[in-house]
Amino acid sequence: MIACRRYGGKPLNPRKIRGVFPALFLVLFLCGSLFLGPPPGATADSREPSLQLASLLSNSSPPQDAKIRVLAQALALVEDQYVEKKPLKDLVYGSIQGAVSILDSHSSFMTPEEYRELQIETKGKFSGIGIEITLKDRTLTVVSPIEGTPAYRMGLQAGDQIVKINGTPTKNISLTEAVKLIRGPQGTKVILTINREGFAHPKDFVITRATIPIRSVKARIVDGGIGYIKLANFQDQTDRDLQNYLKQMGKRLKPFNGLILDLRNDPGGLLEQAVRVADEFLKSGLIVYTEGRTPQQSMRFYAHPRGKVEIPVPLVVLINEGSASASEIVAGALKDQKRAFLIGTKSFGKGSVQTIIPLEDGSALRLTTALYYTPSGITIQDKGILPDEVVKEPEIPAGKSLAKVREENLKKHMLKKGLTDKPWSEPISEAELKQDPQLQRAVELIRNWPPRKLAQKTK
Amino acid sequence: MKLFSIGIFPTRRGFFLYRALPFLLVLFLAVSGAQPVLAASAQDYESLRLITEAFNEISQKFVWKKSEEEIVYGSLRGLMNSLDPDSSFLTPQEYKKVLSGQKAPAAEAGLDLIYKDNLLTVVSVMDNGPAWRAGLRPGDHILKVDGHLVRNLTTQEATRRFQGKPGTSFKLQVLRNGLVKPLNLTLTLEPLAPGQVTSKIIKDSYAYIRIPYFTPETPGELLSALKNLKLHHPPLKGLVLDLRNNARGTLELAVRAASPFLGNREVVTTKGRPPEPNQVYKGRGRDELSNFHLPMVVLVDGGTARGAEILAGALRDQFGAVLLGSKTVGLCGVTKILPLRDGSALMMTVAQCYTPKGQKIPGKGLKPEVEGKKPKAVAGVTPPAKLPPDNDPWVIQALEILQHKKTQKLAKKVVKP
Repeated sequence: MIACRRYGGKPLNPRKIRGVFPALFLVLFLCGSLFLGPPPGATADSREPSLQLASLLSNSSPPQDAKIRVLAQALALVEDQYVEKKPLKDLVYGSIQGAVSILDSHSSFMTPEEYRELQIETKGKFSGIGIEITLKDRTLTVVSPIEGTPAYRMGLQAGDQIVKINGTPTKNISLTEAVKLIRGPQGTKVILTINREGFAHPKDFVITRATIPIRSVKARIVDGGIGYIKLANFQDQTDRDLQNYLKQMGKRLKPFNGLILDLRNDPGGLLEQAVRVADEFLKSGLIVYTEGRTPQQSMRFYAHPRGKVEIPVPLVVLINEGSASASEIVAGALKDQKRAFLIGTKSFGKGSVQTIIPLEDGSALRLTTALYYTPSGITIQDKGILPDEVVKEPEIPAGKSLAKVREENLKKHMLKKGLTDKPWSEPISEAELKQDPQLQRAVELIRNWPPRKLAQKTK
Repeated sequence: MKLFSIGIFPTRRGFFLYRALPFLLVLFLAVSGAQPVLAASAQDYESLRLITEAFNEISQKFVWKKSEEEIVYGSLRGLMNSLDPDSSFLTPQEYKKVLSGQKAPAAEAGLDLIYKDNLLTVVSVMDNGPAWRAGLRPGDHILKVDGHLVRNLTTQEATRRFQGKPGTSFKLQVLRNGLVKPLNLTLTLEPLAPGQVTSKIIKDSYAYIRIPYFTPETPGELLSALKNLKLHHPPLKGLVLDLRNNARGTLELAVRAASPFLGNREVVTTKGRPPEPNQVYKGRGRDELSNFHLPMVVLVDGGTARGAEILAGALRDQFGAVLLGSKTVGLCGVTKILPLRDGSALMMTVAQCYTPKGQKIPGKGLKPEVEGKKPKAVAGVTPPAKLPPDNDPWVIQALEILQHKKTQKLAKKVVKP
């Protein structure tokens, strides 16, 4: 899943080559044909009538073309003299890969195969095990297991390092390659070898693949007219599902005294959905703005008052270091507008927007095209959103090994169901609250609204 | 075309390969005369249009403005990296330095690196050198240098990064297999200690010889060590040559080092792209030791590359030596410098090394006949320093082979390709 994807990149008209690199594909011919006239293959350039071979030959090309001609020369030299004949396509992809690698770490180049994989993944339904993965410090790492999926039930956790997939080491693996290996037909098994802080040795997890529905919203209620909504990520259906739950809660909870929005371990998703979700809780004002190099990439998003479910004032948002991107937009907007009280730990800190730009041969670029800012003009990049009140996740009891605790939790997960696996209308029990100090604190705050800190801030 | 044989850069010593440059032989193309004629097909045309399209998107839409030079030089690095670790790109400044003749660096880190698949990996670390003492080990990945993420480099640029004035230090973030969190290490450059050939008698009549890395003195030191060992009493029954963690030997030095064993027989052949002729490199007959036919085991590992791979392959194919340990790096080629129109240049592999029996070294490397026993891996702990030969498990394994006279049988296992 791409964090904060924008559907901004429309395919280039293949006939229209613009900008500062217009001359490369002609220059290659020039290497061979400077004085000889066009080689046999040059008939191809008749398809590009707007480019003037003559102007290049007469050396009057603008100076900015000079560098691109260097690359054309290099490609020709490698094609001609490298010890092994390499397919030109490989050289071209190597060159584009190199150009992208001078950009930021969220920008990348995808081969047609990798891009196809990505498209399948973003369609909404797929067969897999249900984990979000990333390359953290170049290691394949679990961002978060999606609740209710096989990976989640088997006890995979945020931060787990995937050392091997079906026995194949993941060293140097690309994300798309990894995804391809992990996914597969429903009912088949995949073995992930997991390295986890606290494991003496990497451990094998055998996980049966299933159809992973992309349900990003789950809910429960808490005694005292409090609603609890957890967002797993931001995709096409997120805001619609959220509205549904809010409507049902509005009917069921009389009075509706408060709402807890749980964004913990939500890695983000679509920018547009982040804006809609924030809009549910805001009547007006700025939600987020983006700034890029072009006017199209610089946008401002506002909240509107129309057609909304009445949501009570007390709103608490839970965040942690797994809350990234779109989650941070929502948390940031609600915090800046003083609409919500934030509890948990500092968020991840990803403040950039990526656009997927398909290239004409089926490959694609993923480019960071804008940075986003919370309404008060703060960038989230590398800083993250700070909670109003820091509440840490439960610590491991002294004298108990981490592995032991995990094993116990794992068993518990298998026997009982997780917090959001139960029907939404079933109230969260005191016992469940005790296991989640962040949630417990949120409930406490709503019951004693307003919190002193928020009250002081609003004065 | 000017052809400097093997030593490329003349220095005080005369004609020796400036050792920090990790390639074997450079055919020096002095004039940009060879403008290749490319038979451009429709497919070429499409491919190049793709690059133009990608560059336009980057230069127009990426959130921070990048100059055309940055984008193009980035792509040139990517292009050369997609070939092999010895192929690289030289900026005009770097190429000028090469042309004016580089001096050996005053200080360095004592390690060999490879940049591949966007990952900077430590291939070998010199025994007790600065990198070793800083805690770096073969197989480590360097993620950050002084807080900067390692990206868009070539192997050579990475190597040059760790050369400079004595005392220069770097803060490295290093990822090691089996560790959850990256390590933070501080590396300080030092003048390189002489890489002397050492020898030792083990169990009365077996000799252990260590070549830590190749210097211009190595072939001479090896020859005199062997001459001394020949005089040893009781007469030697076998020889262990340790080429582990030895990654920067040149072709010329490897050929000379093989001479005491092989005389004027073939040491290595380099093959270029047809119709380029193959080059056969033979040892020096006058360096050959007479009546010297000892059973021999050569120790190699994942840090054995270039000259050391040539020597190991030649001793196996021509002297009946048995290779013991783990697979070698597989990095052994001839590079050529090709100037580009803006004053920058490509360094490109134009020929590859083959052992006398015709096995290709680059890529897959040499697979030893005897797998070295794996030491017990202790996760999370920096591997200990190299053990003295008497206690070194692979040396002990090698001695067992020699004592039981298994070398001949094992050597026969080598299949002709």
